[in-house]
Amino acid sequence: MSSNSVSSSKWKRWVPAAVIPVVIAGVAIAVPLSANATDSLPTKSPQDVLAMIGNSTVTAFSGTVEQTANLGLPELPAGVSASSLGAGSGSSSTPSPSGSASTSGSAGSGGSAGSGGSASTDSSAATVSSALEMLTGTHTARVYVDGPTNQRVQVLDQMAETDVVRGGNDVWLYDSAQQTAVHTTLPAKSDAGSAPDATQPGATVQTPEQLAQKFLDAVDPTTNVSVGGDVTVAGRSAYDLILTPQATDTLVGSVSIAVDSATGLPLQVNVTARGAADTAFTTGFTSLSLDTPSADLFSFTPPAGTTVTEKTLPTEPSGTGATPGSAPADAQKPIVTGSGWDAIVELPAGADSASLTSSPLLGELTSPVDGGHVLTTTLVNVLVTDDGRVFAGSVSADQLQAAAAAAAK
Amino acid sequence: MSSDLSQGPTEADSSTPDSAAAGVTAPLSGTLRAKPTAGWALMGSELSVLFRRRRTWVMLIALAAIPILIAVAVRISSAGSTPGRGPAFLSQITNNGLFVGLVALIICIPLFLPLTIGVVAGDTIAGEASSGTLRYLLVAPVGRGRLLLVKFVAAVAFVIAGTLVIVIAGALIGAALFPVGPVTLLSGDTVSLGEAGVRGLLIAAYVIVSLLGLTAIGLFISTLTDIPVGAMAATVVISIIAQVLDSLPQLDWLHPWLFSHYWLNFADLLRQPIDWSSFGSNALLQLAYVAVFGALAYGRFSTKDVLS
Repeated sequence: MSSNSVSSSKWKRWVPAAVIPVVIAGVAIAVPLSANATDSLPTKSPQDVLAMIGNSTVTAFSGTVEQTANLGLPELPAGVSASSLGAGSGSSSTPSPSGSASTSGSAGSGGSAGSGGSASTDSSAATVSSALEMLTGTHTARVYVDGPTNQRVQVLDQMAETDVVRGGNDVWLYDSAQQTAVHTTLPAKSDAGSAPDATQPGATVQTPEQLAQKFLDAVDPTTNVSVGGDVTVAGRSAYDLILTPQATDTLVGSVSIAVDSATGLPLQVNVTARGAADTAFTTGFTSLSLDTPSADLFSFTPPAGTTVTEKTLPTEPSGTGATPGSAPADAQKPIVTGSGWDAIVELPAGADSASLTSSPLLGELTSPVDGGHVLTTTLVNVLVTDDGRVFAGSVSADQLQAAAAAAAK
Repeated sequence: MSSDLSQGPTEADSSTPDSAAAGVTAPLSGTLRAKPTAGWALMGSELSVLFRRRRTWVMLIALAAIPILIAVAVRISSAGSTPGRGPAFLSQITNNGLFVGLVALIICIPLFLPLTIGVVAGDTIAGEASSGTLRYLLVAPVGRGRLLLVKFVAAVAFVIAGTLVIVIAGALIGAALFPVGPVTLLSGDTVSLGEAGVRGLLIAAYVIVSLLGLTAIGLFISTLTDIPVGAMAATVVISIIAQVLDSLPQLDWLHPWLFSHYWLNFADLLRQPIDWSSFGSNALLQLAYVAVFGALAYGRFSTKDVLS
């Protein structure tokens, strides 16, 4: 054998090692591209797209929602749950009167306060920390919806899951890591939304259509509405509705809502802070099926070994098993001042405010200002006054302080 | 090729008589075309050598000891375990012994399983080279590509054995020390024992698939050196580096490409309905690793001058 043929045959042995990475790289690049290749949609005016959302008839669907928040908050280490942050749920070392289950019942809904949504009525430290957890990093949830009364949201964590199940008038919140369940029975005639906090299955992760609705509610004559280029979300072609508030005192720069071209269902919401280039908050479907989910997903029986807490709705005049230590319900209704983009939500002082202001986590994240502490993010500011009131809104901290001063009079 | 007899077969590992014997009795004409039957015979002898090694048995027993340790520790500790403390599912063991295997898997995946795989995969070629038996394997009428495949399959057989040992030992010790009943899934739904068994096997399959990429990496490293300990250590170190990189949020973009990225996502099989997406992504990723490092190992091994 000549040395030439030996070296050429040796060279050939390396061909697979050279070709296979190239093939893999090609596939890795080509597959997302082909998924994004979309036929151009017929042009529609912003009014048409808004009408599409309003006329959307999708009542049953299931899908996976991914939410990413980049609000300038320090990212909590992965896997750190609310309890291990010293906020105290489940562990016996915390003398919090409201216990683990009831506090996590409204976990995360505080995060929506800035967008004028359902503010939490249970402002304990555990709520704050789990709300903060939802406001940092990326969270994935599976959503199953069949009509207005059958809903299930599963927030997927590694080795853990939080479920909110609504079947008819029964609402269950199940936390697999803590092995706790909270049961709430809605009043029989609750379709009018007398208990928006509990009926919202997305109390922990905002689903795109819920968040989109909140922003669309904020659309006022001063909001600039336009339609951007076609986008592809979860493999579906969609119109990109862009809301740009003209109000100068809001932190929201623009909101883009991807609206499914076939059904009018909002598929993705991106929120950009004023003056920022990158998206501060995004939630969108990564997969979506319009088939009706299986009915047994909406019935829930707490598994053996679970601590079950019965929680009565704050709106009900009387009830058994009410959370000990919580203030009367009517004293805790959030007050909204202003409307639209610069609305401010006020939570009056509650019984848990002492634990809220003394929470070490809050002390780490907030900066002291005149009369309280301010939690600053790129989209939402939250002011906790020294007397325990909470003000939140997509406005500057000065405006929150002014609102607090005005409300105190 | 020069015949360097300084590392003669006298140094051959005493536990590999089959491969040495196969090499000696085979016709000494390496240019013969590889016969399929020779490949299967080699496969059989390779597996029997692997599973008759004392080292293999020690590693499997060590893996089996982990669920037993967990179960005994939980059993004898008087303090009830608090939900949310320690590894996931630990607090569920007292209610249902079947969770012992799951907790053991969670504990074994980051270190113990990669360690044992590193030992087996790192030894595949380098071990034969260092003991001087590689030459005899290559004179058998089996191509180098096929020999490499046989070595890989044997290493995968160990991965399967190691994972099943943990799961089965966990289930047995759990059933012996704790009540066993319907299993609570992460979603809060409860499934019967039969379905729980199916899901347990699915999880074992997930873990086995998860470790294929590392096995291929170990095989490739093993072709680079004649010192088996070096290949073993390098394989283990790479698995640790991958996990360290996976925990750095600054390297977000890299995470989906790390072979260890989906290692602990097998809990997605415990949701209702089952979340197959991580199973699929994991399988694709591991397949890519096997293809890349398999091809690299082939390129290296088929062009290597085998001197010992």
